[in-house]
Amino acid sequence: MQGSTPSGQFVFEPPVAEPAPSVLYEEHLKLTNKSRMSPFAGYVMPLWYSTIAAEHQAVRRAAGLFDCTHMGVLEFSGGGAVGVLHAATTNDVRKLAVGRAQYGYILDAAGNILDDIIVYRRAEQLYMVVVNAANEPKIKAYLKELLAGRVVVEIEPHRTGFSPCEPCVLRDMRDTTTGSDCRVDVALQGPASIDVLAKLSSDGSIAEKLSGLKPFAFFEEKLSGIDCLICRTGYTGSKVGFELFVHPDQAARLWNLILEAGKPLGVLPCGLGARDSLRIEAGLPLYGHELDGKFGISPFEAGYGWAVKLDKAFFVGKAPMAKIAQTYEMQVARLEFSAAKGVRPIRPDDPVVDGCGVCVGWVLSSATAGEKQYALACISRNAATEGNTLGVYYLARSPSQVQQGRAERMDKGQQAQADLTGTVVGRFEKF
Amino acid sequence: MVVEGLLYTKDHEWAKVEGDVVTMGITDYAQEQLGELVFVELPQVGKQLIARKEIAVVESSKAAGDVYSPVTGTVTEVNSELGTKPELINEDCYKSGWICKLQVTDKKSLDNLMNAKKYQEYLDTL
Repeated sequence: MQGSTPSGQFVFEPPVAEPAPSVLYEEHLKLTNKSRMSPFAGYVMPLWYSTIAAEHQAVRRAAGLFDCTHMGVLEFSGGGAVGVLHAATTNDVRKLAVGRAQYGYILDAAGNILDDIIVYRRAEQLYMVVVNAANEPKIKAYLKELLAGRVVVEIEPHRTGFSPCEPCVLRDMRDTTTGSDCRVDVALQGPASIDVLAKLSSDGSIAEKLSGLKPFAFFEEKLSGIDCLICRTGYTGSKVGFELFVHPDQAARLWNLILEAGKPLGVLPCGLGARDSLRIEAGLPLYGHELDGKFGISPFEAGYGWAVKLDKAFFVGKAPMAKIAQTYEMQVARLEFSAAKGVRPIRPDDPVVDGCGVCVGWVLSSATAGEKQYALACISRNAATEGNTLGVYYLARSPSQVQQGRAERMDKGQQAQADLTGTVVGRFEKF
Repeated sequence: MVVEGLLYTKDHEWAKVEGDVVTMGITDYAQEQLGELVFVELPQVGKQLIARKEIAVVESSKAAGDVYSPVTGTVTEVNSELGTKPELINEDCYKSGWICKLQVTDKKSLDNLMNAKKYQEYLDTL
């Protein structure tokens, strides 16, 4: 079954399909071996080109270039667009100015997160919405159903659909059969980004424009003749970093121009491995891990309550969000541990234990960054105070470890001796 | 890279046979797939294993991989340098990145291994 259930849940069966090569697939094969390409969210994507560590460092010290062309890019246009987005997302879209972007969530009426998104306002009645690759088919199906009035938008009182007074047209901006203005996402992240982009522009003031661009602000500009929407957003925690939205037919050209211009500055192409380690180090959530996922983590638990505007008159999922905001007991915390030689890496699902050796939660994601390893963990709120000392117990990862008595799973409240001790650090970090 | 004179498993371990003693490690293909290794769990000396049983765990920052014994035998020596230098496997998997030595207790277990040519042919099918 697919669609909206009477209880407000949106059920979606993802289509079974072979992973597709990304728009930049041929470029990746020029830079790395085919064995480093891996299926991810319906696409074949590079895991790494050089090493995860080198690519991670390049973003922190120079800049890194990421293929994000698999991300979904949807357009909402028409007089009804603002009303639809305001009702379908948790943030206040009515307050979004032209040239600005806004983070938010699409929920179902039962309060499940369908995706975390960024809404870009390009003109008075023109919005671009970027969604996760893995969720794109589901979000498209949901929005179509929503616009057709077939989605339960409120449980109490029971309400199906809402009718925008004016038209709202939904378009897939990555599909070149839907129009001439098409876009895919290529991200350039790190301190050298401005210098690299300045080399591609004939506009003498572009460097000033880029450095003056506020986070979540964007403008449209030609780079080496290529139409780009340049936004100061990203997924690496870099203070300086941009997402560039270009026509799919121009993506490979832009990709190569950036690599060429960036080479003397130490810019590297970066794969999924570094994308993950950078976002974990910075504390940024990934849908399915720090949002929703097996723990059903809400925006409040994830540390993004500010993006859920409970003072709005209505949005889909508001009632369950209002309840969670009052009652949630767990939260996502960022933990720092040593990554010295010979220290075993932390893995997702490893239990987090407090000073008394009691399990207070679990690791959701983990990564090594230089001499440290970072975990994003779902733990009791009272254990998540910054500076608190916490430990991690390594779950058994092989049959022989089970034989030696190592636990394969652990529930909250169970006792365990920590294998590695670390510290709760700030929820987010900027670089 | 495949080295002549060694024997190989389908799970990408190599074995160097010298009389009754086998030195083993993981192949270049395996270390490439795992990426930069950050941790190696070595077996205990004296441990008895039958061929294809788990003998070690190698972990990169992104993945953990089980290493299986290529032969039936007893662990006689481990490369303890890997404890602080797991990257030796990335740098030189066939020499300084060896994992352990085994005293072979069942010679027949060697029969299931591939020579360099066969292993290369097998890699070409992947």
